[in-house]
Amino acid sequence: MIGRELGQREGYRVVELYIGPQHPASGHMRLVVYLDGDIIVRVDPDIGYVHRTMEKLSEIREYVRVISLIERMTIIDSCNITLPFVEAVEKLLGVEAPPRAKYLRTILCEINRISSHLYGLGIGGIFLNHSTMFMWGFGDREVFVHLASLLTGARLTHTYNIFGGVRRDLPQGFRDEFLKAKRYILRKLKDYDKVFFNNPVIRGRLENVGVLPRDKAIAYGVTGPNLRASGVRYDARLLGYAAYSELDFEPVVGKYGDGLERVWVRLREIEMSLDLIEQALKQLPDGPIFHERYAKMVPPAMRKWFEKGRVKLPGGYVRLRPRKGEVFSRGEMGHGEVTYYLVSDGGMMPYRLRIVTPSARNAIMFSILPPGHTLMDLPSIYGSMDYFPPEADR
Amino acid sequence: MSQGSNSDKQDDHRPRINPVLAHLEAIATGIKWLTRKPMTLMYPDMEEKKPEYFRGFIIFNYDKCIGCSLCAQVCPPRAIHMYRVPGDKRIRPGYDAGRCIHCGLCTDICPTDALDVSPVHDEVFEQIESMDFDPVEWHIISKKLVEEHAKRKRKLVITRVDEEVGLRYEPVE
Repeated sequence: MIGRELGQREGYRVVELYIGPQHPASGHMRLVVYLDGDIIVRVDPDIGYVHRTMEKLSEIREYVRVISLIERMTIIDSCNITLPFVEAVEKLLGVEAPPRAKYLRTILCEINRISSHLYGLGIGGIFLNHSTMFMWGFGDREVFVHLASLLTGARLTHTYNIFGGVRRDLPQGFRDEFLKAKRYILRKLKDYDKVFFNNPVIRGRLENVGVLPRDKAIAYGVTGPNLRASGVRYDARLLGYAAYSELDFEPVVGKYGDGLERVWVRLREIEMSLDLIEQALKQLPDGPIFHERYAKMVPPAMRKWFEKGRVKLPGGYVRLRPRKGEVFSRGEMGHGEVTYYLVSDGGMMPYRLRIVTPSARNAIMFSILPPGHTLMDLPSIYGSMDYFPPEADR
Repeated sequence: MSQGSNSDKQDDHRPRINPVLAHLEAIATGIKWLTRKPMTLMYPDMEEKKPEYFRGFIIFNYDKCIGCSLCAQVCPPRAIHMYRVPGDKRIRPGYDAGRCIHCGLCTDICPTDALDVSPVHDEVFEQIESMDFDPVEWHIISKKLVEEHAKRKRKLVITRVDEEVGLRYEPVE
């Protein structure tokens, strides 16, 4: 931290404080904090330290290669961030994933959401010097990373959704492993309440800190659990993409909009996601996992892999040419709502791919929440937001 | 801001807590978990048996390759390049392991199973130049890595989800 005195403002001495950009938690970003004594007057989030030109890079890559590029925005949540893009391209291609593939996408999305929330809770815990929450969050996330690696063959960057389906079928024994994980994490969540949520230290640091009223949350376009904690029933999953339209769920909506409420919404959303996965596993239909049009083009010698639960791609898959058009698609990630605006000129590569990520929309909270609080409350506000710089900077 | 009144109207999901009892409860929960086994994988001493189709180092079989170059076209980070091999009419893929992101798309698009995924994920190379393989080198290193991986003397464990501690590691015979 570097600070310097700015001089007098309305009779008070104002200090300018630089926090970052080497960030101890989830990525590089800088906060410029203006202080009057110990009270925060103004915060300027200085983002862009991990900007990787994702939108421009996607214009020089074939569609199938874009998938593994954009999932690097949020590798902790890689299924959720690629799904809306894949669905947008599917719309232009005129294919629709088979029902089984849609359910498998939903299952992986919810596994990713749980691990993203546990990551966010762990990071939020270490911001408040609560090492137990950090260790527990990251340790229990490992259970869901393991489940994802059983399903996809990779721990984080799954590249699971492809145009017309998914790449792997449900492995044997996945249901049992998931049910065990569900029983484990439900029991552990009760301990989370005791150690973290109902801990007097955490209550003192988070309760009534960084309150985001409902009207302000809507006006500033905050998204995801942070929006729902302010009492707005908005969840992109209600649009019914993938298999969400066939599953029964009700978004978790908070009331008070303070830091503790944002933590509570995340904890309860883990329970909701577990319920969604169980429903999806129960209703999982039989059938193919890859669209007929592409499966037919695969060489006959390679068809044996489909029976083993692994998709083979046809040669023409590299040169997919979606029809000319513009598609807008969105999906709910662990951090909030991600929006894609895809323009295709009928070529092999996107003409333009505009991405609005949830963390980019939530970055505004750095300016509106901390003023009026003490400097000590800044980490707890940051921790409760589950902000992920690499995702915001794209 | 009208934030002062929140502590008065308590909802059922945020019950008012007793500061002394809640502290004791938090400490007791911590102690309860101290007695459980950790879920850490003692990695260099024991090794996890990877799940089916785990996407590690891409292995290449020169004899099955037909030189169609689809793998080089689909590779997202351009880790696969096509080479001319002396004495061979067709072009063949070479592999830059330093660029590879292990997405496995090349193995999915290969029409002859010349490329495949392997569970080898922790091979160490001493120089960055030694990670770039031409087709013949790639064929040789693939064979070598798979053979060496099968002969490893580390204790092999399989990861299972456990209801008590999250993850446990069972030895594999």
